[in-house]
Amino acid sequence: MRTTRYAFILAGGEGRRLCLLSEKRAKPAVPFAGKYRIIDFTLSNCVNSGITDIGVLTQYRPTSLNRHIGTGRPWDLDRTRGGVQILQPSLGSLESDWYQGTADAIYRNLVHLRRRRTEQVLVLSGDHVYKMDYNVLYAFHVAQRAAVTVAVTEVPEEAVSSFGILETEPNGRIVGFQEKPARGQARGRLASMGVYLFDRDLLMRWLAEDAAMPESSHDFGKDVLPRLVARGEAVFAYRFADYWQDVGTLDSYFEANRAFLADVPPLALNDPEWIIHTQSADRPPVRVEHGGRVERSLIANGCRVQGTVIRSLLSPGVTVAPGAVVRDSIVMQDTVVGPHAVLDHAIVDKEVRIGPGVRLGEGASDTPNRACPEHLSSGLIVVGKGAELPEGLVVGRNARIGAAVRPADFTGDVPAGGVVDGPESMH
Amino acid sequence: MALVLSGGGGERLSVLTAERAISAVPFGGKYRVIDFVLSNLCHSGAEHVGVLTQHAPISLHDHIGAGRPWDLDRRQGGVVVLQPYLTRSHAGFYRGTADAIAQNWNEVEDRAPARVLVLSGDHVYRMDYRGLLGAHLERRAAVTIAVTQVPPDEARRFGMVTFDRDGLVRSLVEKPLRTDTPWASMGVYMFDAAVLREHLGRGRPVNLVLDVLRPMLEAGERVVAYEFHGYWEDVGTVGSYYRANLELVAPAPRLALHDQRWPILTRDEERPPVQFRDHAHVEESLVANGCRIDGTVRRSVLFSGVHVERGAEIVESVVLPDVHVGAGARIERAVIDKYVRIGAGARIGDGAPSMSPDSAWLEGLTLIGKDAVVPAGARVGRSVVVGIGAREPDFEDGEAPAGTVIPSRAWFEEVR
Repeated sequence: MRTTRYAFILAGGEGRRLCLLSEKRAKPAVPFAGKYRIIDFTLSNCVNSGITDIGVLTQYRPTSLNRHIGTGRPWDLDRTRGGVQILQPSLGSLESDWYQGTADAIYRNLVHLRRRRTEQVLVLSGDHVYKMDYNVLYAFHVAQRAAVTVAVTEVPEEAVSSFGILETEPNGRIVGFQEKPARGQARGRLASMGVYLFDRDLLMRWLAEDAAMPESSHDFGKDVLPRLVARGEAVFAYRFADYWQDVGTLDSYFEANRAFLADVPPLALNDPEWIIHTQSADRPPVRVEHGGRVERSLIANGCRVQGTVIRSLLSPGVTVAPGAVVRDSIVMQDTVVGPHAVLDHAIVDKEVRIGPGVRLGEGASDTPNRACPEHLSSGLIVVGKGAELPEGLVVGRNARIGAAVRPADFTGDVPAGGVVDGPESMH
Repeated sequence: MALVLSGGGGERLSVLTAERAISAVPFGGKYRVIDFVLSNLCHSGAEHVGVLTQHAPISLHDHIGAGRPWDLDRRQGGVVVLQPYLTRSHAGFYRGTADAIAQNWNEVEDRAPARVLVLSGDHVYRMDYRGLLGAHLERRAAVTIAVTQVPPDEARRFGMVTFDRDGLVRSLVEKPLRTDTPWASMGVYMFDAAVLREHLGRGRPVNLVLDVLRPMLEAGERVVAYEFHGYWEDVGTVGSYYRANLELVAPAPRLALHDQRWPILTRDEERPPVQFRDHAHVEESLVANGCRIDGTVRRSVLFSGVHVERGAEIVESVVLPDVHVGAGARIERAVIDKYVRIGAGARIGDGAPSMSPDSAWLEGLTLIGKDAVVPAGARVGRSVVVGIGAREPDFEDGEAPAGTVIPSRAWFEEVR
């Protein structure tokens, strides 16, 4: 009998540490590497691995993600059988509340497995950038006779406290599980990638069991997996050695994007055998006009460059006016950089209008951001979606300018670490 | 109901159209010529579109597919490709534009439209056909012909139209050596279906202008001219194709591809953003997604997936998709077709153009056919045509002097 493969993608994450970038959209919908969204990598992994039946679980600010995924056309997921389905929390189903944790989110959607002939269920996170053939994971899972297989990758010592850390036996069997251990407390450097392959029946049983535990926070990393390991279930780790990136913080987001400027980027975007599909609008080729200059940058179709762009990433439809300089920055869709404006270490969201002569990133970076010092202290400037920056404005480092800010919202230049909130700000 | 005539092979585009129809020739960094007409149809709200193909239609069929990019993949109507076919009573290939329409008249008849819009798929322009339709209805015309002004010395390439103050057409002259009207037919005709049907049924018309429009004019039908003042270009010659592409990189081009109010829709492969490396130096150029630039590009159009290695230089050239330009190579005033590999240090468009009248049609340009491999260090002069799939032995002493024509090779020759 024909069996199919089914994947859940958890795309409800808020990505709080990404600050403004994820204020208006879920983390998987955050733009990445010039023309992609973070979830494109996971969705492309699925279709490139032959998995064409996918449920995407959303919760936090799903509009942008819903529009991006649509009927799934770019991934050829607009299918008669299978395809992609957006799974929003709903009333009147099994329970009627928001998803409590990742395990709870899947538990509430077990109904989707009812009529599907799948022996395993793949549970993925939509928050990571990597290229993985899940067929290899399936083969490993079957060969190990695992009940659940967790894909793991080695992370640097200083990063362990951001991840679920696993202890394994030489054969790959997991014997210990620590969720975000403090530095020095970690028993290893193997981090869970948020990629789980479960035996279907066991998954259903375990999730029902977890749902009945009032003390559980209903999270795979915090509750379910540690419990399974502690009880000696066949939980295996699959070592993944290639590039995998969690773009959880502004700094890691910035660095991860910049890594794609290298001659050999960490993940090939131009591999015809493994295309990273995305929703792209019809835009003309990049137009470098008279006086335009571009060095070491990634620039997407629809951009117009009349000024200078150095070591930066420009999403589709960005205009860089004459005399403007965009240096070491990330500029998203349809933003206009006015004449003689200067951007240095700026992350500028979509549809921002930067007035003539504006200077972003002036002075020293030793004053962390007033509102979120823990996320914005390395010198980056963040400008939210749709903001309008008046002519001649000077903005110091570690500053945060909220979405939809209007020129009238500025009382003067913005000092280092300054915050300008717009009408729609939630901070 | 619209019929797009896309059967033409266009001898004058040489190696560019040896294996594809003119309509399928790449244009403007990521489009094909027919995208302009299909986008016009999409934005004008057309629902039934027939594309008539004949010459080397594979690229065109691949490109159009089910018509998705233009929202023409519909359950009712949408786009249908109409190829020549055989029946017991008649045979075969279209003898001309009118014959092509006549042979597919049953497609039109099935939908019983009141009017039929007949278009050429070989022109580059943006036009809202609803304006033409409005004028057609208002003037109670039997056929309305869209016309555009062309310079006098270009008249011999076009069908020239004379009309009176009321727009009533007085004469239609095909490719005249001399004319006193500046108005050329754009190959855009709005016909009353009944009138078109009647004239297609008289004898066996071959050519739409000579055998249908002229007789209509002579029979006293209301043939009306519709003046169009926007950008319109026939890219059927090497020179006009080259100039129309290069005009896109000039300041304030007449055809603003960036105008998102009337986007040009195309079948787009998913490619990463353009990668500019340390030695990239790009001036006044169009560069499409998937390109990787580490050399110099000036006043040129680069289609998707072109790789320019360090020290290479491309000047005033049109480079089609997936061409590889080796380190230190130099390309000037050339049109390079898909998948060509230019070896390191090769010189394309080198020296003076050929003075021979046999090369005049090239207007001093160098054409390199699809899949050709130009060996490292080779010198290819101006007014040269390098055939499709040419290989190292085709370049004697690594050279192709001005005026040379290197014949094409069949792709399976290497297998043999």
